Amino acid sequence: MVEPTVLVVDDSPTVRKIVQMTLQREHIRVITAGDGLSALTSVADEMPAVILLDIQLPRMDGYHICQIIRKNLQFRTIPIIMLSGKDGLFDKMRGRLAGSTEYLTKPFDTAELIQTVKKHLVDWQARMPPQHEGMRTRLRRRG
Amino acid sequence: MELQDQIMDGDLQTLGLQSILKMLALSGKTGTLFVHSGPETISISLRKGQIVALREGEANQPDLLGMLCLINKLDPPRAQAVRESAQGNMQVALALLVERNWMSPDEMQRRLEFTVTQAISHALRWVDGRFSFHRQLITMESRMQALDVDSVLLEALRQADEWEEMGQTTLTRTTVARWLPEVSNDVRSLGLSQEHIEVLCLSNGELPLQAMSLVLMMPEARIAHVMTRLLELRLIEVVDTALEAELQQDLSNIIIMCQHTLAQQRQNLTADQHLLGLMKTLSQCINGLLIHHGKYAKALRGRGQLPIPDIVRYLERRFMQPLQLLSKQQYPILETANFANGQLDCSEILHLDKLVKGEKLEEFYWEAVLGLATFLRTVFATLLNDEVGNSHTGRQLNVVWKAFLTEIDQEIQQYQLYRANQNTQHARNRHNEAAFQVGPGVPMPGVTGMPQGQNNLPWSSETQRRSM
Repeated sequence: MVEPTVLVVDDSPTVRKIVQMTLQREHIRVITAGDGLSALTSVADEMPAVILLDIQLPRMDGYHICQIIRKNLQFRTIPIIMLSGKDGLFDKMRGRLAGSTEYLTKPFDTAELIQTVKKHLVDWQARMPPQHEGMRTRLRRRG
Repeated sequence: MELQDQIMDGDLQTLGLQSILKMLALSGKTGTLFVHSGPETISISLRKGQIVALREGEANQPDLLGMLCLINKLDPPRAQAVRESAQGNMQVALALLVERNWMSPDEMQRRLEFTVTQAISHALRWVDGRFSFHRQLITMESRMQALDVDSVLLEALRQADEWEEMGQTTLTRTTVARWLPEVSNDVRSLGLSQEHIEVLCLSNGELPLQAMSLVLMMPEARIAHVMTRLLELRLIEVVDTALEAELQQDLSNIIIMCQHTLAQQRQNLTADQHLLGLMKTLSQCINGLLIHHGKYAKALRGRGQLPIPDIVRYLERRFMQPLQLLSKQQYPILETANFANGQLDCSEILHLDKLVKGEKLEEFYWEAVLGLATFLRTVFATLLNDEVGNSHTGRQLNVVWKAFLTEIDQEIQQYQLYRANQNTQHARNRHNEAAFQVGPGVPMPGVTGMPQGQNNLPWSSETQRRSM
């Protein structure tokens, strides 16, 4: 069975490493990206089950990335959890309008992070287009 | 599995696993035997009375490839290549190793046989539980040659007896052990046998006793025996995995909180404010770590709810000396920082602006930032070594910590750049003033007090953006 993959997009290496360590302990595969462009590449290559997306990113912000993903037919169903230090209503609304599924406010608690990610992993296999399953297996084999 | 496929069922107290297996073997049955006792389960596939496959519980299979690397029987790149293809299935991994000539078919068979024997040996010790035999043979991916039930039972019973002979022991097949951080000598000088050294090498705070047994192909009881000896020699310690998970979570939350504070202070526009923000972040982080250590320090564990003065005394005893040493040898400003109720009190440094102004204040702040950053490193290194040592958890936390320190260092470097720029500017101004006094006809160059950035701010636009 293929384990679910979570993509973490954050410009802080500390946040990336902590999320990676925390989710890997829960047997969730984690890939990371430090900016918007690498994030989009990872989405296309890996078809993650969930995306954790920081708002403030170099070159392209999280809202923009979220909109791009939502406009793509293949990836639009991937749950996107926005990560940000902003907890104002306006920012949450902006995140929702951009298409985010949920909002986690920094500094987040790791237990809350696990709970939120797991909630969106429940039906990840059902959401995954069958052709992508094959592609990912091929990618893994290629190493 | 359909109920109509079920040929027989019953409880283990009436008919033990040994008898059931013998009976099925004698009658040459084909099907699957399910046995469960509490949360533990085992399913044994039989074809014409011979064991063809076995599966234990729902637990994750041990990372055999990683373990083979640990005992130098496989190169990590090869292990990685096989891991990618096997996707966690031990049977497939073994078959791939054989296919690539990295393991002999004979060794694969021995390893698979050993796995079956170990699992049956463990199940033979179950007193309560139920079994059921189904006609349908569950297809399990098995590359194993069929095994004779009698010979498997003989070996399994011998191993089960070894466990019984161990007498009272706290070790179980799920026990995880790790090297004690204090062990730094060459273990070969201790005169340990090869099997002791192998178990010691695998005691990395991650592998349970059962997994060690599988990779070394040494019965679990024997591993437990070796571990007991290593515990007596104080070379290893038993890991409380639940406590470590809690500890890791607590430390992660502290680091996330501090990273957030660090990111927030990037909004500060002046050098003074930036340094002050850094000091606040560093002291918050130090105090967070001290609170954490007050909960998880090895010396304070297992003693129930301790009175706060005891915890405070312990923390001060542990960290006062390194702080004093730093203030004497490198950063005199730290003399103004004290321990109060087990916390580092930096209020005198943080309120220096009421006493000192201008460049002098900046210099004091700068010294305090460097001092606190050094002390923070000391605190983290000390607590990590004490709480988890050089274990898997310890190494993971170290990776996270290094990432956080890189972010702090980047902030410090930003300020160093700003200072260097400012010093150059001052020197240039002095030179120009002197030149002006010598020859008043020389034009004054354009003065820019700050390095190039938005609004003459000391921090780059990138740094400010990240602070959002």
